[in-house]
Amino acid sequence: MGVILEVKNLTKKFGGLTAVNDFSFEIKRGDFVGLIGPNGAGKTTVFNLISGFEKPSSGKIRFDGIDITGMRPYKIVNYGIARTFQLVRSFKFLTLLDNVIVPCLSKRGKEVSKKVGAEEYASSILASVGLVDKARIPPIILPHGDLRKLQIAKALGTNPELLLLDEPYSGLTHEESAVLTELIKKLHDDGVTIFMTGHVLRELMTLVPRVIAMHQGKFIADGPPKEVANNKILLEAYLGKGDEYA
Amino acid sequence: MKKGLVKEKIRNIPTYLKSWAKTFSGSLTVFLLIILTLFPFLSQNESFINYFLRHFTLAMIFSIFAASWDFLTGISGQISFGHAIFFGIAGYLCAYLIAFQGFPIWLAIPAGALGAVGFGLIIGIPCLRLRGPYLALGTLAFSLILLKLFLLGSLSNILFGSEGISYNTGPYPLTRLSSNALIEYFIVFITLIISFIIIFQIVKSKFGTILKSIRDDETGADASGINTTRYKVYAFMISSFFAGIAGCFYALYNTSVNPVGNFGTVISFFAILMASLGGLTTISGSSLGAFFFIFLEYILIEMGVDAYVQLIFAIILILVVRFAEHGILRPIIEHLKDFWDVLLGR
Repeated sequence: MGVILEVKNLTKKFGGLTAVNDFSFEIKRGDFVGLIGPNGAGKTTVFNLISGFEKPSSGKIRFDGIDITGMRPYKIVNYGIARTFQLVRSFKFLTLLDNVIVPCLSKRGKEVSKKVGAEEYASSILASVGLVDKARIPPIILPHGDLRKLQIAKALGTNPELLLLDEPYSGLTHEESAVLTELIKKLHDDGVTIFMTGHVLRELMTLVPRVIAMHQGKFIADGPPKEVANNKILLEAYLGKGDEYA
Repeated sequence: MKKGLVKEKIRNIPTYLKSWAKTFSGSLTVFLLIILTLFPFLSQNESFINYFLRHFTLAMIFSIFAASWDFLTGISGQISFGHAIFFGIAGYLCAYLIAFQGFPIWLAIPAGALGAVGFGLIIGIPCLRLRGPYLALGTLAFSLILLKLFLLGSLSNILFGSEGISYNTGPYPLTRLSSNALIEYFIVFITLIISFIIIFQIVKSKFGTILKSIRDDETGADASGINTTRYKVYAFMISSFFAGIAGCFYALYNTSVNPVGNFGTVISFFAILMASLGGLTTISGSSLGAFFFIFLEYILIEMGVDAYVQLIFAIILILVVRFAEHGILRPIIEHLKDFWDVLLGR
């Protein structure tokens, strides 16, 4: 079980604002890790830096030994990292099936999908997330929960080894969250390394065996949820200092 | 693609054509194609053949041009406000090769179109960093620069200045596609059919799906592992090729090229106008738009109000954007279909 993702001294400055500050961590193949922190902590920025949508100001990112720092997003995808977005996005004028076919046509996706054909392969992915009966429908009329599933289906189209899920539970009902949890667990059982940010802490902390916490762009803690949850700095970050409530 | 698959696809073509012709829009298209085929023989009147009929040829030339624009903007999502560039470069190159290098027409036309593709690359590559309205402005800027360049007196010896190239500017005559207006008509007609078939097949293919995904969400396409830059370049190249074919035909139609006539912003405006009236993304709507505006202009000129042509066109564009932003082709087909159903008592 080797290291699949190595992040070293990752820093991102937006003008005067340091969104990510000397952030380092490692994820091993097959891990299931959460990334938590209050709003504005820099979680999405970390994801953007890893997936290539932002270039780091300094620091290194290695995936499976390969230096992917500052690479273009599509190249990183073709190395085996896929991500979902906090704000749901889709190819709004294409059918659900076409939405999933597109990632199956990427260089990496084609390696797997060409055996049965992109349509078949995309269909089976839709089936695995429970959306196959809506294959011919465009995303515009779908409920939020289905759109989140669609995002994961699209990410799966590229046959990822590492899946970055950015706030996947955001806006979901209780039932939808339960379904999503089952899906994520199954993906992890199938061997996909999962790195997930979350705000709905109750779900996340019971789901993942390991959590990395950040605040104001800086690393705070890394360990099992119970341990991290008791971290003083993190508690202060989320709840404020005790005397504010006196 | 495996050999067996290709053979199977080719064998499926007749069945596919039959089922297509059975659909309402399919049979409507076949009907219109038959009319366009028989129409030229309607009258032997000289004025009909050499004047009125040639407007159909002109409308078909602009159909190809507008369709090329729709392919780039409506299907691939790359907004082009300078499409006259490809139209004009191809026309000039084609005219130059015929008038000064003695190229035969059948060689000069593809050469002109390929010149337009080359230009598509030159312009596409810097412009590709731009998105949306910035890309539109970038392409517009390029077309204005090109227009000025060709108008500049100091470059007259290379670029022929504001006079351009006419029938007898060079050692060889710049002739029409054919001195026979009927043959000219059918050459353009057949090219139109082939061009539209090719464009439709591209749009329907997996490659077309990728282009549409870039249109709908470029970041999402990037996140799906698609090299969006490469596909945008392909889209530019395909679009500029067909715009170039139309540009060459136009040069030969007029037996002349000049900066304003071939590079003018009016030409870019025509592409947007015609494709928008028909309906962005429909491709076939471009021919509806082309025929509509070419004949509207014809009527206005016959009525003696040609000074107002551009004003009227602009007003129509505003009306289309306000009341029929998806174009009028689909609503028209829907209404025709309902009418047809009523006629047949369904």
